[in-house]
Amino acid sequence: MVAIADSVPKAHSRFHFILDRRDVLGSLMVAPAILYVLLLVGVPFLMAVYYSMSAYTIYNPSWSFVGLSNFVDVVENPAFRQTLYNTFIFTFGSQILGLVLGKFGALLLLRPFPGRKFVRAIIILPWAVPIALATVAWQWMFDSLYSVINWTLIALGFITRANAPNWLGNPDLAMLSIIVVNAWRFFPFAIVIFLAGITAVPQDVIDAATVDGAGFWRKNYQIIVPMILPIVAIGLVFGIVFTFTDLSIVFLMTNGGPVGATSVLGFAGFQTGITSGDVSHGAAISLFMLPVLLVVVIFMLRFIRRREI
Amino acid sequence: MAKKTGFSSVTRRRFLKETGLAAAAAGAAPLLTAPFVSKALAADKSLSIVQWAHFVPEYDTWFDKFAKDWGEKNKISVTVDHIPVQNIPARAAAEASAGSGHDLFGFNGAGGAHLYRKFFLNVADLVNETEKKYGKVTTIGKQLGYNADDGSWSAFPDFYINFPGMYRKSEWGEIGMLPDTWDNLRIGGAKLKAKGHPVGISLGHSNDPSTTWRGLLWSYGGAVQDEAGKKIVLNSKETVEATKYAAALYKEAMTSDVLSWNDSSNNQYLVSGVASYIINPISAYRTFQKSNKAGADDTFVIAPPKGPAKQIMGAASEFYGIWKFAKNKEAAKEFLRYYAANWPEAFKASEGYNNPCFAGLVPKPMPILANDPTSTPHDKFAILQDSDKWSAIPGYPGPATPAMDEVYYAFIINDMMAKAATGQLSAEESVKWATQQCETIMKKWAGKA
Repeated sequence: MVAIADSVPKAHSRFHFILDRRDVLGSLMVAPAILYVLLLVGVPFLMAVYYSMSAYTIYNPSWSFVGLSNFVDVVENPAFRQTLYNTFIFTFGSQILGLVLGKFGALLLLRPFPGRKFVRAIIILPWAVPIALATVAWQWMFDSLYSVINWTLIALGFITRANAPNWLGNPDLAMLSIIVVNAWRFFPFAIVIFLAGITAVPQDVIDAATVDGAGFWRKNYQIIVPMILPIVAIGLVFGIVFTFTDLSIVFLMTNGGPVGATSVLGFAGFQTGITSGDVSHGAAISLFMLPVLLVVVIFMLRFIRRREI
Repeated sequence: MAKKTGFSSVTRRRFLKETGLAAAAAGAAPLLTAPFVSKALAADKSLSIVQWAHFVPEYDTWFDKFAKDWGEKNKISVTVDHIPVQNIPARAAAEASAGSGHDLFGFNGAGGAHLYRKFFLNVADLVNETEKKYGKVTTIGKQLGYNADDGSWSAFPDFYINFPGMYRKSEWGEIGMLPDTWDNLRIGGAKLKAKGHPVGISLGHSNDPSTTWRGLLWSYGGAVQDEAGKKIVLNSKETVEATKYAAALYKEAMTSDVLSWNDSSNNQYLVSGVASYIINPISAYRTFQKSNKAGADDTFVIAPPKGPAKQIMGAASEFYGIWKFAKNKEAAKEFLRYYAANWPEAFKASEGYNNPCFAGLVPKPMPILANDPTSTPHDKFAILQDSDKWSAIPGYPGPATPAMDEVYYAFIINDMMAKAATGQLSAEESVKWATQQCETIMKKWAGKA
């Protein structure tokens, strides 16, 4: 019976037969991702490159080639140079703060305590909350009239109403405020990265160090941190790229003020290219990020590869 | 022997070839279906409108019903989308670039009609017809939509929002002064600041200070550009004097809070009972009325302060543009005709916030402004009936151009005043810095618009 049943050929459709081939199926499965990258990243990127070297404005959508003159215009503007400087301070300031908070957060969350699982789950909230909502909440905390931070400091007697810091009105404090908000957003990600790295360090290495008399700081900064550096560097690459290109915090919280002190490249590119309709100069401002990010990413990836070897 | 799988023989060339084919097939799908989709849409008689979410929510409720009722009468399906005001430029750019979107675009801002001139239908016939019926278009209306080079109209002017002064009568009465001139505002403001009630005019990056400080500049006889809109004339003795005044006002009559403010901050300052004076549309007063009736009753509306040269204040504005790619251009024009015919209703629905761009569109005495039963006294807003005499939009005394819009959106005038106020630069240096910024923008747009 079995032999008879096996001898009857099944009615396979040609389509079914093609899908049985792993190479075809693999190509089909990967195609949406490639299509997504090509259409939503590749094409806009190439368009932005061409826009930045054209005379394109919304008033006159001309594709005439103007070479690098838009970049020259942009660099000659002192306001742009201030924006570029702000972008570096914002990016690296918030990454350093985020990493420090992430490291300490991870060390705390490694220790057993009641409700640790709940805390581990809830710590991810700053990263998961929509940025618009979170920024509005922070804006109120930094508000000149209703700041809860100032209210607390006044209640504790550290400051008076007369000398309360004007968080978003003082250029230095405004920069510090947007750095704090971005670090607050980034640190749960840093915690996850550090936790993943630290738990991957073999216990026998730590035990051996303990037997050799290594204390908390030596174990952390001479054994654990060097071992997890590649994974931390990957996290840092993500953080730098996302922060360098971010405009949401500045757009929602300061609009680049006071007096241009928090204007960053993403915001300036948006204001010039979209709000004011000068697409070519807006693209030139935005593409200024490209060589910087490229250098940072290549340097970090080379560093990671060397560490792995 | 194990069978060789397809994956082991994947080469870079083969991978690119196969994924490329898959990508091309997926990408072609919309092209194949597009003719059928567009035919289906064309058969549908509809009108789509997009505009800002109004500061007075009741206006949006009124407008949506008004548009729907018109659609039902004319058997046209009308949809109205309200989007946040700050999203308007990005939305317009997206629709123009895609060559597709809403039929009627309600644009909040000054130079948009000129920036999108090539994308908007010439509505000169509609404007002329409205002028014949309801009186001459105002200066702001002309600044908004008229193109002097060929006499075309890129937009149908809808309304402007005036920026009067609002002061606490009891506080100003105590010092026996009235904030009717910029000098009185500074002197009286300093006295009231000492009593804990400073003046509140933002020096931050938002629309209110962009509008207010332009008013100060113009009232001192300064301007960003000339009447023809060809040349930057900011670097003048008048501008330096206006900037010096702003620095003095900041130091004597305001606090550093104003450096961080957004558009709602001065409203909150008034409602909190701290401010003795602000410059803002009447929405600030309406908010005060809802939270503290006694405080609102003590708050009076006054024309903007007089300067050495004139009495003038910046204004915000709104217009409608019909995209050339709109599916239902005639319906859009017909709707605007009907809207103009019912404009007094729109005025009432906005609680006197939207001011007309045609002289006789809302005959005087104007509803609400001449007699507002919710206010004490009822004629508190009466002076606003003539606000067209002291209101102007960015670009004044010239046209509202894309270059003037960029100067506005880059907050250059705000920063010129703030740099001098905070002592970052002297008034002269600050004006030079702002002039250089404006000239760079003007040069960039020369020949392009």
